[in-house]
Amino acid sequence: MSSSSILELRGISKTFASTTALSPLDLDIERGSFVSIVGPSGCGKSTLFNILSGLIQPDNGSISLEDQNVIGATGHVGYMLQKDLLVPWRTVLGNITLGARLKGKVGPEDKEQAMGFAQKYGLGEFLHHYPSALSGGMRQRVALMRTLATNHQLLLLDEPFGALDAQTRFEMQQWLLQVWRDTQRTVLFITHDVDEAVFLSDRVLVMSPRPGRVVDDLRVDLPRPRTLDTLVSPAFTDLKSRVLHQLHRERGA
Amino acid sequence: MTKKKLLLNIFGPILSVVVLLGLWQAIVVWGNVAPYIAPKPWDAIRAVTSNWSTLAPLTWWTIKETIYGYLVGAFLGAFLGVVLNKIPLMQRVLYPLLILTQAIPIIALAPPLVMILGFGVMPKVVIVAWIVFFPVTVSVLDGLNHVDKDLMTLAKVFGANSMRRFVVLEMPAAITQLFSGLKIGATYAVTGAIIGELAASSGSSLALYQRSASGSLDAAGVYGTTLLMTAIGIIWFLLVVGAEYLATPWQRRSTARQWRRGAKPVLTNN
Ligand SMILES: Nc1ncnc2c1ncn2[C@@H]1O[C@H](COP(=O)(O)OP(=O)(O)OP(=O)(O)O)[C@@H](O)[C@H]1O
Ligand SMILES: [Mg+2]
Repeated sequence: MSSSSILELRGISKTFASTTALSPLDLDIERGSFVSIVGPSGCGKSTLFNILSGLIQPDNGSISLEDQNVIGATGHVGYMLQKDLLVPWRTVLGNITLGARLKGKVGPEDKEQAMGFAQKYGLGEFLHHYPSALSGGMRQRVALMRTLATNHQLLLLDEPFGALDAQTRFEMQQWLLQVWRDTQRTVLFITHDVDEAVFLSDRVLVMSPRPGRVVDDLRVDLPRPRTLDTLVSPAFTDLKSRVLHQLHRERGA
Repeated sequence: MTKKKLLLNIFGPILSVVVLLGLWQAIVVWGNVAPYIAPKPWDAIRAVTSNWSTLAPLTWWTIKETIYGYLVGAFLGAFLGVVLNKIPLMQRVLYPLLILTQAIPIIALAPPLVMILGFGVMPKVVIVAWIVFFPVTVSVLDGLNHVDKDLMTLAKVFGANSMRRFVVLEMPAAITQLFSGLKIGATYAVTGAIIGELAASSGSSLALYQRSASGSLDAAGVYGTTLLMTAIGIIWFLLVVGAEYLATPWQRRSTARQWRRGAKPVLTNN
């Protein structure tokens, strides 16, 4: 076991009734890294997240998160979906501290932390707004702040920007990188957008169609901070084309 | 809410009531309607005000029956809604029973209730509760059944137990639905109380007052009592609407009202 791994998966597999969603999967994730997972629809990406978050049990294998066995146990990771899942009856502040409220009481330190996040990441003016008054991008920011505020080292983001328009999406990507750099969390990021995967990540995992396996594991050594220029650099285009080829070969195209 | 909208909300209903009374007045005056068939609206109102010393205690009883019954019905209804949602087996056991309670014509239910519970407040309270609980149960059940599944899943990932999930997410998520049930119940509540009063043929009540006015061909008294009963119903409904207004600020505001100083929105300065 490498000492810098925060997460180690060994032989994780999952079969639903007759569909094998994941074939045995081994994976090591380095602490503080940003790792994207791309793969065709239905290849088991979300299933993998559901296993990591403790929502479902794998059929086989072991998971060690920060040297703890977390199979079937919830409350260990931050989790965020394409749907922002903000509750309409709470303000931005109330939504960011929802994790604390769900576990018990919202203390002054939870509030302080939430206000700190909100102010630092462009939501300061909206602390007391209800979600209905926010744009889609803004809502996703709040959702991410809520995920951060659970104070878990590992964040699982399942297509968080999937529903946003291209421009908002790009802003959100840069914003996410800033948050990630500041807070030094480890991010696992599912996306269908190859550009997004390469732009954000230290590492891109390409999965095969069902039953899901990792068929390629790319290091992305593009310099940070990543900007608009990154997107048009030859190195970016090379990496992107390699991922695309992998994806399409696996689809049999 | 803008000022214009607020004014519209207040004066709109007042205007429609005035128009309605005007129409009534016009029909009675220009249609030459005999005073023992329909009084002028003003006479009906005066029949209430001039007999107020008699009517006041009766009105008070009706209000009490309505409120007690409504509260019992609302709490029972909400409780049953939660039980039905949380214990799926109960849906099969209780639901047919609930339908049965509503299939009994309420007018036919009143006399046996009076036999069992006597001529006091009790049978009226039971009737009101009987009518009110059902829409509340249905709406709460509906609200709880439609809480976003992904939100509940997220709460599990966050490590929340089922009690916390219920209190923090499901209860507030169902509140809009709850109020739609409460409002339907509020419109029926006075009717229930009056049915109970009618069934108890002795004692004094608004319903019996109206019956005796009817017996002595006192049209103004009859119509006046109807107006009075209606007013109780409308005021109760408005109180429920007011409670909803206070309980669901996010449906009409974009920011939360700040009660404490120091919790003001903080402006970023970059
Ligand atoms: N609870 C479940 N019961 C039965 N089958 C399931 C369940 N969850 C997922 N599956 C199946 O497992 C497979 C993988 O699903 P999963 O949601 O992990 O795919 P995905 O890679 O996230 O797809 P997408 O990119 O479309 O989100 C699919 O065939 C799906 O139908
Ligand atoms: Mg998925």
